[in-house]
This record gives sequence, structure tokens and C-alpha cells, in this order.
Amino acid sequence: METVVAEDLTKTFYDESRGEVCAVENMSFACRAGEVLGLLGSNGAGKTTTLRMLATILRPSSGTARIMGHDLIRDPEAVRRSLGFYSTSTALYPRLTARETLEFFARVNRYPAARIEERVSELVGRFGIAEFQDARVEKLSSGMRQRVSIARTVAHDPPVLVFDEPTVGLDVIAALEMQEVIRTLSEERKTIIFSTHIMSEAEKLCDTIAIIHRGHLLASGTLEHHRRCTGKHYLEDVFVHYVRGGG
Amino acid sequence: MPSFVLATLYRSELRMLLRDTRTIVIAVVAPLVLFPVLILVMRWVEQRQVTRVERTVYRYAVTGSHEDFAYYKVQGVINRETFDPDTTRAPAAFLHDRSPNPDSLIRAGAIHLVIEGLGADEYRRVRTRELQEEAGSDSVELAVIADLPDVPVIRLHYRADQDVSRAAFERMRERLEELRRSHRDSVYRAHGLVVGIEDMGEIGSENIASTERESGALLGLMLTPLLLVLMLTGGSIVAVDAISGEKERGTLETLLTTAARRAEIVNAKQLAVATVGVAVTLVNLANLLAYVVLGLIELPDSFTVSLAPASLVVLLMLFLPVTVLVSSSLLLLSGRSKSYKEYQLYFPFLLLIFLALAAAAALPGMDLRSAIALVPVVGVGVAVREVMVGELDWPFLMVAFASTGIAAWGAAWLTERTLSTERLISGAELDRADLVGGPALFPRRVLRWFGVLWAILLVTSLWSGPSLGLREQVLFNIVGVLFVGSLLMVRSYRLDPRAAFALRGPPPVAWATVLIGAPAALVTGIGLAELFRRFVPVPDEVIRSFAQFLAAGDLPVWQIALFLAVIPGVFEELVFRGVLVHGLIRRLRPVPLALTAGVVFGFFHLSLWRIVPTAYLGVLLTAVVLLTGSVYPAMLWHALYNALGILPVRMGWVSQDFDLPLWSYPLGVAALGVAFLVLWNARRPYPGLLASPGRLRAS
Repeated sequence: METVVAEDLTKTFYDESRGEVCAVENMSFACRAGEVLGLLGSNGAGKTTTLRMLATILRPSSGTARIMGHDLIRDPEAVRRSLGFYSTSTALYPRLTARETLEFFARVNRYPAARIEERVSELVGRFGIAEFQDARVEKLSSGMRQRVSIARTVAHDPPVLVFDEPTVGLDVIAALEMQEVIRTLSEERKTIIFSTHIMSEAEKLCDTIAIIHRGHLLASGTLEHHRRCTGKHYLEDVFVHYVRGGG
Repeated sequence: MPSFVLATLYRSELRMLLRDTRTIVIAVVAPLVLFPVLILVMRWVEQRQVTRVERTVYRYAVTGSHEDFAYYKVQGVINRETFDPDTTRAPAAFLHDRSPNPDSLIRAGAIHLVIEGLGADEYRRVRTRELQEEAGSDSVELAVIADLPDVPVIRLHYRADQDVSRAAFERMRERLEELRRSHRDSVYRAHGLVVGIEDMGEIGSENIASTERESGALLGLMLTPLLLVLMLTGGSIVAVDAISGEKERGTLETLLTTAARRAEIVNAKQLAVATVGVAVTLVNLANLLAYVVLGLIELPDSFTVSLAPASLVVLLMLFLPVTVLVSSSLLLLSGRSKSYKEYQLYFPFLLLIFLALAAAAALPGMDLRSAIALVPVVGVGVAVREVMVGELDWPFLMVAFASTGIAAWGAAWLTERTLSTERLISGAELDRADLVGGPALFPRRVLRWFGVLWAILLVTSLWSGPSLGLREQVLFNIVGVLFVGSLLMVRSYRLDPRAAFALRGPPPVAWATVLIGAPAALVTGIGLAELFRRFVPVPDEVIRSFAQFLAAGDLPVWQIALFLAVIPGVFEELVFRGVLVHGLIRRLRPVPLALTAGVVFGFFHLSLWRIVPTAYLGVLLTAVVLLTGSVYPAMLWHALYNALGILPVRMGWVSQDFDLPLWSYPLGVAALGVAFLVLWNARRPYPGLLASPGRLRAS
């Protein structure tokens, strides 16, 4: 069953200095439960805009998408209930403790009230937060914050998870931890859409790689599919091939 | 379920605020400690100042051609100060300084006062020269010079920038005047009064207001500005953090990706701002009260406030929409600001706007029974003043409550929209209409323009009052402000003038319907106004003075017809049924459009009791324009309506107190029905009209 279906998603911005800017144009793709879809593109390709439209923070100029059957224009609350959104720009409240943070996000995402306590305890154990669960977020190290941040993304147990360049700015160990989390969540049959411009990350994690350039989806498929279509072995070469107008 | 999320958001907002110790200290603890310290320091400084001034020996010099005369008078003052002291204050000590060059001594601060004795002619010369210097020319009005005294004069030279010199001057002048009065009385007594003392009488006065009412009036003046300042500064603590702070920290994006509705987020933040605003207000008021009880702040002896329970409830009710408006405005400001810094930059302006509104309510002559009740915050401010003196004018209290309530709702709605805008996240602030501008942007801006025009008319009417004559008022308001404003809109948004002013040919039968419709509208309008007066009584004096204004006794009939029928008929239609309707045509369906344009038209008449009949006329005329697609029949309708309402009285055909017979009202309704039935059957709908259930849209 397809859990995420994007149909002709288009986003146009109007800017005084640049005029009309089409950040994403007619983007269509679909994912199933347990699938990891990677949006691969350079800076400014339209990855973040696409993911923000899926998270209903931005309203598409045209086209739409359905998350777990909910239309993101007609029912944005249901879409957000079915989705966890993580990016390096989504910060945590500094004056809440780690545990309060998880409780807060479980509640506002309408997780059943009676099970919140149990869910939070489970997350605290799973993401190794127990040691600092009662410390305020402002006192935590960046690694600890990252763990809390991932835990708050999945606090309401959403079937779809969106990670926008999750490893940007992380050291090697933290980036590997993040990759491990994505892999584990995928094994739990979560649908994962994540954006990156790091080829090795896409190669390791993605079932499907969608190559985006200047707001357009150039190609989408498994790594093997891309290799066959382009005749290139390394993803870097595949990417350059598409971007330079090949295939 | 929604209340569950709202409660979570609200609780978290407060929890996070309470954990921010720096904020708590600055916002709550500091005023509690600093306020008494400030008062004590000020009192200490004041007392020290008084003591210093009282202990000072005032050094003075005597100069001038009539030095002896002046010296003699000053001695009289010193004797009086010594032998007839004012027991309410310490006696002043004066010391004569005989050093040369007293002018340079006073400039150097070595002496405090120079007393100059001048002869009448010399004083005239000196004063004339001074007046010429002040006027910057040699010509000074003769009448001014003729008013100068024809007797010797004592001139006191002092330095207003030095408190001791100023105190010396005040004491010397007071005593000299006392001495002069005493001398004059003794001369009168010595020469015998021409009239008996009993014929001169005495002046007495009696304040018939109770001390409660007097104190209530005083407190009523201060209450709204005081509470506003406290609520704004208190609420600002949370508001700055609520959106602009969250934006800066990056937590807003996290929050916006949750399943919480935008309305829930806004409401929770609004509740938090209001809670903290009210809490800080209460803490500070309790603080003030404690200082009054402790005697740190002294109230006037006769200060007694007595409020009936009903008045107290009304006060709380009146401050409810003010609280919501304050919290919404703060949140809106926070939403519009990109960062803390930007918020702090704009906050003083918001504070100033609210203070100006609150101060406007304290202006003398502000009456709740006027259009002022419609102005948010000002209406409440005036209402609070009246409630504080025990006057409960229910209809107008409700109008003041509703006007501020509507503004509060509007601000809350705007905040919710701000939170939904992508500007918060993407940094792109514009949409297509913003970028392209022109006609695409006009529908979004039209009501804003009319708001500005309304404010200009309100301010000028308050400022000019009845000083302008009928012709000047009509020309300034209708042509100068409304029509010129409309031309500006047409120019600014590059509108096609023919489309914007609805300058199209109507169906021919529309002209005939005007002849039935205008008198019928007048009759039904009068009936509606009579009905309105049953609910909101209008003083006869107000109606009489308006009728006198319209009668414009000294103007010829043709001018009255021109200024009260033709000009309003033509220009008001171009403005309200032209530009306003053109701006709203793609935003509202026909019925809400007619109601909105009518209500806006009513509001522009600035007098509360005229709003209902003029709004009614506005609705009818908008309907005429929507059905005919043209402004011309509405112009004739409007002009005829005004002419029929004014000229028969002016011509003496009917008396000013003439009442329409009861049967005329159903007849008016029937005639109006016929007129609109004919218009409906021959309709040529306004281009671009949105579809409506009545299938008014052009096929």
C-alpha cells in the first residue's frame, strides 16, 4: 500500500528582488510502508521545499499529496498527525526537560493520553535518554539534544517520517547513529523520506533515490535502476549524468 | 480533544516562562522592589530640596531710576514676611546686596534676585523696545503700548533655571502683590468707598458632586491608560518570546509540524500573554495599593472611591475585550517581527498607539453618545470614565464593548493568519498579488484605504468641530478626502477608471425605478431611524442641531440642493458604490457585499444615531449598483433621497416637527419592493459578481 503519494507538487515564491521563483515544479512520487525514499540534490534543488510541503508548513501553489490517505490541503492536521518531521532547523524548547519535551510532543500530536506515560518511558529507554531525562534541554550537549530531537519526532508513533538533511553538521559518529536510527525505523515498517546531498548516505540507506535539480524530479528508482539507465557505477557519476542533461 | 492540546500548549508556555528567572526578576520582582525605592528616593530628594530652599537666604539687589521706590516696597515685603508670616511655610530670609553690577552678579549666580524700580515713561520705553525686539520689527501695535501701566513699575529679574532664584522670585512677587492689594484697600478705606460694601457682594461656590463621584471621575481618567501600560508591558514578556522568539530559536517550525491546529497554537499563546499581562497588572496594582496603605503614596484627603457591584462587573466586562485586543496585538507584532530585536524596535510604537487611544478617551468633551463609542479602546476608555461616576448608559456601553471586541477578534484573526503564512518559515514575504501589485492587490487593500479615510474624517471632525460651515464641510469631507482618496486608489492600483467607478450604461428602466425607489427608501429609512431611536434614545437637542445645520438658514436653496443633494449624490456614489464595491466585488458574494458596503457607508457618517439609516441607504444603493452594473441610477437615487429629505422643510412646505403618518411606512415598503422587482427583472449585473444563490451572476 502506498503511504505517501505526491502528485504534481509545485511551489512558487514571489520575491521582491528575484521576482517569481519556481522552487518545485510538478514533483510526483510515491512510497510504501517500510520504504526509504531519498531526495538527492544539490543546495537549492527544492528538497527542503518539497519536504515542507509534505509537512504542511508550506502550501503547494498547485498539485497535492496524500499521506496515509489524507490530503495535505484538505486535511493538514490529519497529515501532521501521521507524520514526524525532523530537520536541523527544528529546534527543541530549551527550558523543558528531555522527558517533558517528549510528553509535550506526544500530547500536541494527539497521542492517546492514557498511553503517553508508557510511550515516553519507552522512548527514553530506546534512545538512551534515561540518564539526562530530567535535565533541561538547554543544559544538554549537542549529541544528547540530537537523541531527544529524534525521540520527539517519533513521539506520537507516526507511520511516515520525514528527515530533512538529518546529518548536516553532525560529526562522523553522530551521523552514523542517525543512519542507524533511520535503518531501524525502516525495519519497523515506517515510511521514510529523507533529503540529502551526501551520495554515500543515499547509497547506504535508500531503497529509492529521487534525483532533484532546480525544482524538477529528473529521475527516480533504485540504485541498480539508475546504474542501468546511465551506465555509471558510482552514484556521484549517476547524479552528474542526470544533472548535465543525460538520460 | 482540542481543549487537551490547547491546555498542553498553554501550560507549557507558562511553565517555560516561569522557568526563565531573568524574565521573572525583570518583569515582576524588580518593579516590586524598585518602585518603593524610587518613591522613597524621590521623596527624600524633594524634602531635601524644600529644606534647602527654605534655609537659603535670598540675596537681592535693588537698581533702576526709581531705586528708592523699589527699596521701600521691598522693605515692606520683608516686614510682612517677618511680622505677618504664612504659618503653612517657613518664613523666607532676604539679604540686600549692595555690590555694583547686579546684572552680572545674578548671571554668575552670586545673587538670586534683582529688583528694578522704573518710572512710568522709562518702563514704557524699555517695554516698547523689548516688544519690538520680540516682534522683529519696529512696528508694535499701539493698543499693546497703550495698555502699559502709567505708574512706576517694579521689575523682578530672576533665573528660572535655578530653583533658589525661582523660589526667591515667587516669594517676592507674591508678597509684593499682597502688599499692593493691602495698600489699595487702605487707600479705598481712607477715601471712603463710592459704593456700599454690601453692593460688591462676595463670591461663594459649592461643589454638588459627591466626593465619590469626583474621585471616580479622577480615577476614571487614569484607569484605562494605567491598566493598558501594565498589561502591555506585562504581556510583552510572553509575546516577544511567543512567536518571534520561537522563530529565532527554531522551535516555531517544530511546533508548526505538529498536529496542533494553528488556531489552538494562537489561542494558547494568546491565553498565556493575557494571563501574564493580567497577572503583572494585578501584582503591580496590589503593589500600588500596598504603598497607599503604607503611606508611601499619598492620596488627596477627599479621595474616596465607591463602586456598586454592578459597576464593578461592567468595568471587568469592558476590560475583557481590551485584554484580548492587547494580547492579540502583542502576538501579531511578535508574528510580524522576524526577531527579538525587530519586536523590541516596534513595541514602543504599539505602546504609543494604545496610549494615544487611552489618552484620547481622557480628552475633555469626549461623550460616549457619539461616534467615539465606535473607536476601539477609546470607546472603552470613555465608558470606564462614565462607569466610574456611576453612569451606566447600557446601549452605548454595549457599542463600546462591541467595537473593541470586534477589533480584538480582528487582531486575533490576523495573528492566526500570520501564523499560517509561509513568511514565518520560508522568508518569502510576498504572494503573487504583492509582487504584481495593481488591480490584483487592490481587493486586499481596499478596506485598509477606507479605514484610513475614515480615520482622517474622524480626526478632522473632532479637530474642526462645528467651526466649519456646511459648504466647507461637504467640500472637504466628500470631495477633498473621499473623492481625492478614491482617485489616489485608482491611480495607485492602476485601475481602469470606468470599471472602478462603474461608469456603465444602466438598463433604461432603472431610471424610472429611481422615481419610486428614492421616496420609498426615504420613508422606510425614516421608519427605521424611528425604530432605532426607541432602542437608543437620541437627545432632541442633537437632532434639532443637526436639522439646523442642514437647514443652513443663510444659504440660498440652490446651494443647499447642490451641497446636500447633488455633490453627495455624485461623489459619494463614485466613492462607495464605485471604488469600494469594485474592490469588494471579487471577495464577497452579493448579499454580504451589499451589507458590508452599506455598513462602511454608515460608519462614514460619524454620528452614531445616523449610522443605521445611512447604512440602510448604503445597502439599498449597493443593491441598485449590483443589479444595474452602473453607478448612474444610484447617483440619481441618492441625490433625490437627500433632496426629498431636506428641501420640503427648507421650503417651508412641511414643518421641522412633521411626523409621517403610520400608513406611509407599509406603503414605502411596498413601493420599494416594486422598485427592486422591476430592477431584478431588468437586471444587468455588475461584471465579475461572485455566484450567489439568487443567480444574480451574469450569464
